[in-house]
Amino acid sequence: MLLSASEIEVLGLSLKVAFTGVVASLPVALALAYLLARVDFPGKILLDGIVHLPLVLPPVVIGYLLLVALGRNGLLGAWLAEHLGIVFAFRWTGAALAASVMGLPLAVRAMRQAIESVDRRLEAAASTLGAPPLAVFASVTLPLILPGVLNGMLLSFARSLGEFGATITFVSNIPGETQTLPLAIYSLTQVPGGDAQAMRLCLLSIVLSLSALVVSEIMLRRARRRAHGA
Amino acid sequence: MKLEVSVGKALGAFALEAAFASDGGVTALFGRSGSGKTSVLNAIAGLLRPDRGRIALDGEALFDAAAGVDVAVHRRRIGYVFQEGRLLPHITVRQNLLYGRRFLHGAGAVPLDKVIELLGLARLLERRPHDLSGGEKQRVAIGRALLADPRLLLMDEPLAALDAPRKSEILYYVERLRDEVRVPIVYVSHSLDEVVRLADTIVVMSDGRALYAGPVPEAMARMELRPYLGRFEGGAVIDARVGEQDLEMGLARLDFPGGALLAPDVDALPGERVRVRIRARDVSLATVRPEAISMLNVLACRVVAVGEPAGASVDVQIDASGTALIARVTRKSVAALGLAPGVPVYALIKSVAIDRRSVGYA
Amino acid sequence: MSARLATLAAALFLALGAGAARAQDRLVVFAAASLRNALDEAAAGYPDPRPVISYAGSSSLAKQIERGAPASLFISADRDWMDYLQKLGLLVPGTRHDLLGNRLVLIAPRDSKIELPIRPGMPLLRALGGGRLALGDPYHVPAGMYARAALESLGVWSSVKAHVAATENVRIALALVARNEAPLGVVYETDARVEPGVRIVGRFPASTHPPIVYPMALVKGAAPAARDFEAYLRGERARAVFRKYGFTPLN
Repeated sequence: MLLSASEIEVLGLSLKVAFTGVVASLPVALALAYLLARVDFPGKILLDGIVHLPLVLPPVVIGYLLLVALGRNGLLGAWLAEHLGIVFAFRWTGAALAASVMGLPLAVRAMRQAIESVDRRLEAAASTLGAPPLAVFASVTLPLILPGVLNGMLLSFARSLGEFGATITFVSNIPGETQTLPLAIYSLTQVPGGDAQAMRLCLLSIVLSLSALVVSEIMLRRARRRAHGA
Repeated sequence: MKLEVSVGKALGAFALEAAFASDGGVTALFGRSGSGKTSVLNAIAGLLRPDRGRIALDGEALFDAAAGVDVAVHRRRIGYVFQEGRLLPHITVRQNLLYGRRFLHGAGAVPLDKVIELLGLARLLERRPHDLSGGEKQRVAIGRALLADPRLLLMDEPLAALDAPRKSEILYYVERLRDEVRVPIVYVSHSLDEVVRLADTIVVMSDGRALYAGPVPEAMARMELRPYLGRFEGGAVIDARVGEQDLEMGLARLDFPGGALLAPDVDALPGERVRVRIRARDVSLATVRPEAISMLNVLACRVVAVGEPAGASVDVQIDASGTALIARVTRKSVAALGLAPGVPVYALIKSVAIDRRSVGYA
Repeated sequence: MSARLATLAAALFLALGAGAARAQDRLVVFAAASLRNALDEAAAGYPDPRPVISYAGSSSLAKQIERGAPASLFISADRDWMDYLQKLGLLVPGTRHDLLGNRLVLIAPRDSKIELPIRPGMPLLRALGGGRLALGDPYHVPAGMYARAALESLGVWSSVKAHVAATENVRIALALVARNEAPLGVVYETDARVEPGVRIVGRFPASTHPPIVYPMALVKGAAPAARDFEAYLRGERARAVFRKYGFTPLN
């Protein structure tokens, strides 16, 4: 067995948290990217700034804000727990939420760039052929921005795998529940003689991120070739 | 089909203010680059929103500024063949062709097989757009627009991006389109050759305004349009019918209201309609019917107007029993012969000047 | 191709998600960082399902419990933080017990040659030689607060308080010394004993600081299984393990 049982548990949790975070943030990121790329409205610059905040603020700040808003006693958190039974604090769902918030700006940037580079004349051609706006988006825009969307999701995924500050502040460090790979490594650095194990997890982290990057690059190239008709 | 267009729009430093009407067939929007032709086309398609005016097709308003009507692009059922083709790069030719089908309620008027045959697309169906040549792309673009069952087909300089051989290839297909599919076409071009070959109605545009709208032969004969139609191209267009073929001599007699012309190598059967261009520089004038000359075509005419001189030469508009012709002669000759409106003259046209390229087929 | 990859990824995710035992179903224990090795071994002797233990500085743990962390049992490294939760009414009444005692030591990296007897006015600043004294945060973390109390009563706190590396929990301070990042540190004796990379320079007399007591209590909303585990920790088997690591089991 290459990995011990506890290492597999940490790995599984990290993947689950990162994957869930990315998938949950996809519609939000896509909508924001479309809005910022195509629509003009008052306060657009402000929205752009807010979307980029997780990139420039200390992760701990984001984690703390999430705690204030969505913790068990938080403004929204209490309501969600009582009326919908949804709890984020100290749960893997909270770790996924922290991950998706931290990864959002990267996803939005990549998707926005992709949307901005779509030849709008193709969309115009599609509408002259009778396609209503939603159909134009689904059959023309979406296939053409797919490489960018994948890229954005992947960047968000990689960021989520490495997310630490917001996670430990918002959902703390509970093995099996919120102890993702970075948190596990952090804990091990405090264990006497834990250096060897910490290094193993570091290598695992590298292998994971590298694999994710390689897979994405392959997928990106295939999607790009398809979009340009190879 | 009746198309009524009246649009006004400020486009930066350029003001578009054009109005015309058309009764079907091929309507050409002709003018120099920047005269506003594509803007008018885009307005008809709904891709450009005018500030003022009205656009109606068969009485139904597509755009009416006063009434607040602006039908969405995808509801107008107006096909558009763009200059650059604009094929969707991520799907095959077949999928491109059928793209508009799924938005139709019911089958389209033109079956897929007919379009494939008409435009010679059979070998291309499974290819991707980036694998096609310029001419092939244009044919697919035309087919795609047709298969979306349009009430009107717009074509924006479809030959502009092609080289000479490709141009005549596509021109041939557009002629087939005109003749075999009963959909009216609005055709934008800055090439008078294309217009003369294809169009029934011509709208002459300059600086955002529509100067003239009417049948092609009439427009060609109008002196005031000369500057806009291009001086070198000056001449008359005659719609004629093939009367008789002299196979031994290789000549055909072309009958028209003002008389008959003999032209060589006319590839049509008696009874077929043809359109003939007579360039002004190929027409000579005489005040006395000449004898023992090689020119076979001598038509009795009357001078209608003498144009403005350009250097040593001047264009003279003459009328042959209702058909307009233009002769380009020297100022010296005008003075020597005493040419003035009302003077009877004979128009002399060399048969060999009416070459293959001057005869278009209906 | 991408559709297949997506399906594979989804299947993997579901498998991992389903496989990993969810901590909500397992007992969650919050324990002071210094308890790590000893408590892990004690818990290993407990029948399945074993509790999940989250280690951190007692101050951090108390604040998390205050924010609704799903801990059933809390073991703090000092009374103050347990009192804090008790005042907030977050403990199950009648379940608080003093579990363990400990001692405070001064440590140095294993290869360090420092000799520094512990007595009032000791030349601590000079011994640091420009480096920093590693200890838990002296204002929040129990180990740091005990250390500050001891150094204050020895009269040397004011001289070294600007030369301190304050950490979130005592084990980080331990690691700093073990890695030679700090020339000296103050930790619990039990910490020094599990880290081969440090050596004990001296023991702080018990009179120099408040008694080091590890109280334990059930947190409000604790799972029923918590009581069993809590009882187990006060039992003889667990006490033997704690003793082995250098803790003093209390009644």
